[in-house]
Amino acid sequence: MKNRWQRSVPIHGVPVFTKPFYALGAITLSCVVLCIYRVVFGLGPASGMNDAYSWGIWKTFNVMVLTGLGSGGFAIGVAAWVFNKKSFHTVMRMALLTSFLSYASGMTLLAIDVGRPWNLYWMLFPWKWNGHSPLLEVMVCMSFYAMVPLLMENIPPVLERAYYTHPEKRALIAKAESIMKRFYPYVIGTAYVLPMMHQSSLGALMLLAGDRVYPLWQTPFLPLMYVWVAGYMGFAAVAGTLLLCCLVWKRSIDLKVLVDMCRVEAWLLGSWVVFRLTDIILRDAAGLMFRADRFAFLFWLEMTLAAVGFGLLLRAIKTRQPGDLFFANLITASAGMLYRFSPSSFAFIARPGAIYFPSAIEIIISLGFVSAAIMGYLYAVKTFAILPASNEEWTAMTTDPQFKSFARPEVSAASMAAAHD
Amino acid sequence: MTMTRRDLLTKIAIGSVSAVAAGCVTGSALTGVVHAEEPLKVLPEAVGMLYDATRCVGCKTCVIACAEANNLKPDTSADGLHQAPTDLNAFTKNIIKLYKPASGEGFSYVKQQCMHCVDPACVAGCSFHALTKNPKNGVVSWTSDKCSGCRYCQIVCPYHVPRFQWEGFNPLIVKCEMCKERLADGKEPACTTVCPTRAVIYGRRADLLAEAKTRIKETPGKYYLDKIFGEEDGGGTQVLYLSHVSFDLLGFPSLGKESVPEKFLKWQKRAYSYMAVPVLLYAGMVTVIRRNWAGHEEHMEHEEKRTGLRSQL
Amino acid sequence: MPNHDGNEKDQTIAAHLKRCGVSRRSFLQLCSALMVTAPVGLALTEKASALEVAQQIGRTKRPSVIWLHFQDCTGCSETLLRTSQPDVADLILNVISLDYHETLMVASGHQAELTLNQAVKDNAGKFVLVVEGSIPTAEQGIYMKLAGKPALQVLQEVGSQAAAIIAMGSCASWGGVPSSGPNPTGAVGVDSIIKNKAIINLPGCPPNPYNLLGVVLEFAAMGKLPKLDDKKRPLFAYDRLIHDHCPRRAHFDAGRFVHSFGDDGHRQGYCLYKMGCKGPATHAGCSTRHFNEIPDVWPIGVGSPCVGCTEKEVAFRVPIFQTVDIHGATPPEGYPLVRTQTGTLGAGAAALAGLITGAVGGAAWTASRSFGKADSAETTEENPDLVGKGDK
Repeated sequence: MKNRWQRSVPIHGVPVFTKPFYALGAITLSCVVLCIYRVVFGLGPASGMNDAYSWGIWKTFNVMVLTGLGSGGFAIGVAAWVFNKKSFHTVMRMALLTSFLSYASGMTLLAIDVGRPWNLYWMLFPWKWNGHSPLLEVMVCMSFYAMVPLLMENIPPVLERAYYTHPEKRALIAKAESIMKRFYPYVIGTAYVLPMMHQSSLGALMLLAGDRVYPLWQTPFLPLMYVWVAGYMGFAAVAGTLLLCCLVWKRSIDLKVLVDMCRVEAWLLGSWVVFRLTDIILRDAAGLMFRADRFAFLFWLEMTLAAVGFGLLLRAIKTRQPGDLFFANLITASAGMLYRFSPSSFAFIARPGAIYFPSAIEIIISLGFVSAAIMGYLYAVKTFAILPASNEEWTAMTTDPQFKSFARPEVSAASMAAAHD
Repeated sequence: MTMTRRDLLTKIAIGSVSAVAAGCVTGSALTGVVHAEEPLKVLPEAVGMLYDATRCVGCKTCVIACAEANNLKPDTSADGLHQAPTDLNAFTKNIIKLYKPASGEGFSYVKQQCMHCVDPACVAGCSFHALTKNPKNGVVSWTSDKCSGCRYCQIVCPYHVPRFQWEGFNPLIVKCEMCKERLADGKEPACTTVCPTRAVIYGRRADLLAEAKTRIKETPGKYYLDKIFGEEDGGGTQVLYLSHVSFDLLGFPSLGKESVPEKFLKWQKRAYSYMAVPVLLYAGMVTVIRRNWAGHEEHMEHEEKRTGLRSQL
Repeated sequence: MPNHDGNEKDQTIAAHLKRCGVSRRSFLQLCSALMVTAPVGLALTEKASALEVAQQIGRTKRPSVIWLHFQDCTGCSETLLRTSQPDVADLILNVISLDYHETLMVASGHQAELTLNQAVKDNAGKFVLVVEGSIPTAEQGIYMKLAGKPALQVLQEVGSQAAAIIAMGSCASWGGVPSSGPNPTGAVGVDSIIKNKAIINLPGCPPNPYNLLGVVLEFAAMGKLPKLDDKKRPLFAYDRLIHDHCPRRAHFDAGRFVHSFGDDGHRQGYCLYKMGCKGPATHAGCSTRHFNEIPDVWPIGVGSPCVGCTEKEVAFRVPIFQTVDIHGATPPEGYPLVRTQTGTLGAGAAALAGLITGAVGGAAWTASRSFGKADSAETTEENPDLVGKGDK
């Protein structure tokens, strides 16, 4: 039963500060320096943005795309808690962590991206809000989601660690946990409504751009499609990252959970493609698919990725090979990423004759924020019980000097034996 | 812990009631800011400008007058010498551009500036009402202390008007505000006062429309399709255009009669009307989650006893 | 000199000119020149013809003018006298009654002092005071004394009796050359000292004499002073930028500039902007009203950049060869097209983006390959149930 994901176990026997970690740190550091440059000299010198394409990759990639990838906490949470898919509970912690990191990194970058961040404090005064603005919805809802429900959902692993490392405070921690549990259903309720609101509003953002978004993408259902995509992207990102982690740190792979996830993904992706095509046909935009221009090419690239992703998912469900599962999730996530990226970039026609390409500084800052999130992830999975594993893995972990205190002295030999069944 | 069916039902009921109550409180608190609204209509006292491309001689006096009236730094980026902006930009709120076909026949100047839409997309999209439409004369203006510099107005403006100061740490949004200080002093906007051929004139929108219609009537065939751009395009604008060449060639988008917010944000507004949908969704979800939660907790307790390992949330 | 002629009628300008044998023709020429100087802005010259102006002036009693010199170079007096033909200077001095002028009068010493006192007494409250030169204020004004009194005191005494004060030249207007840094004498203009009198500044180094004549005659004939701008300069003479009426403007608009004195462009009469010409920042009539009645006699006309002498903040403040900002100049011919290009694509950025895409893609591909290898190894040896059968 080694290949079962029964509980979250920290990565052990590996140092936190490795060469890749320092490499990411170097990127993050250069990003911080360039952020200072951006603050002092302004957006113009630091980025490739211009009056036509006034939104660059910081918004279109780091926020629009990466929070989509970070929707795992929402997508898997809804499946686990609302639709009662019990097997997903073991991957919840990992999904929530990636969600938190991607949102935190995206929101922080948003503060670097906006020209007058000191005025963001108006978010605290609801009566000053423009309730119709999708952007307000995104800003308020995203920051609230990241700072309240998502953060609270990420507290249990921290409390758990404290429980083991600070035995003298166990009563206090247990009390905190029980209080938390009492409010938890209400917290996670907001943790699912809020992403639905802001992930859809990310799509609604581009609604107001009107005809400047190419008709193959511009549709009244843009908000719905954005949440839909966030759903399968979230699953794919969590499944893919889990597989990658298992590969890197040689952890056991629970194929049942992964295949279950792929099934949900396949459903979401397949129905999404059908919905997308139906929408285009009903809007009389189908002719645009067959023009020989970059938009048609982009559309077919996206559709190919989605179709191949769908096929690969079905194949992986059948073969149950980790390699196949990984590749299928990779392509599925890419299809979602491309769709989320297009309306605000490739398929956004600011005006004829205008181009945008991110500057090197812009790319490094974007990369730096991603690096910071990855560093946070690497630190967290090696410190807290985040990644799923079997109960034996937990016991094995307690022999690691770093996690020695995780071994519970009061657990009897009998129950240990039972645990290994 | 064992739970009877009765307990479970009671808890579900309590949960639902509290969820609905919480939702209602939040919802009513936000009612003031989020509720469905009809699209904006032309204000009775709306002011505007009428630009007649057939009268414009391209002297650019209006460009200079605008820069002076608005204290804009001269844009000498073209040759480091002359105030010769090449487009609307951080120092240019008004510009004369040239449409010139290869044949040279049928060229036209065009004055580009904020259209002061009847139902502006920028105002609809602006997070904290930094961009507002004056409730009396309908002038769309910008306030620095509300603007977060997100540049959403640049993304949504169908005429591609608002500009951002890309240099420096205190950037502003720059766009025509119809010389609002001059209007407050009872004066006309700077550009309309200096135009030597009266190609651009200022007045109440209704008067300008009447004037434009008179011109069309008096000179049949002179104006392109006998059309006044802005009469109903994109829900109508307060800056109106007459031209002898197609408006498309002058860089205007073809918009329907509906305004951009009305056309594209209709369902979004309905969905958030009184926050009803999110609140109901939350109430429903909490109800279901609480039911599943009970089962999950029971399972976790069982596992803890079985394995001797502390349960995880 | 004080006028002691018989009755009121005999004191008119017309009578005086006749008495002095000035020809009617040259008087009419002077009136035409005045009309050219002040095409708008002076009630005196807003007439249909020079004849009407001459009639209006002819009826007027010769205005009494007292001229005080302080820290000056007498250039402003020179500009009044240095006309191309001697009879014009003569004419001017016959139109106004210059009752006290240290350089021009014969008297000196106590005699001169007496003349001043007499002139002030005779015309108290009626005369026009023309001040030339700046007034030293440092150390209680000891840097300049006149009949034992500091210039400061002389100005206050005489100025208090004047009907109006004309600050002739940049020095009298706001300090001019003597006031440029470090300004050891604390030189200031008239309006820093006298606060309760009508003061008209005629800055310039030197100013055009017709500006003075216009103001004095407007005051004498119409009994009022011309409209002034925010720097107290009469609008009729200082309302336009040199640059806007410059004969070399076409060269500016076409981008043809002098780059060094004596170069080809200089010989061709190109624009002097790049040589530090202050024309775009200077309000004065020089570009349309040249000096000495000779066409093209003014700095730019003779190939020298304008130094901006009529602007308080420009001349003697901004280095002569430093260019000024152009604000409000009309742009050159040429228009941006309706569709313009925006945005750039840096090679480095493109390379970086390619590099990252390649790295991520490569890593993903390698990762998906690695699974296969790892699995086959583990499936066969260590953990047969890890892959394939899954968990049922």
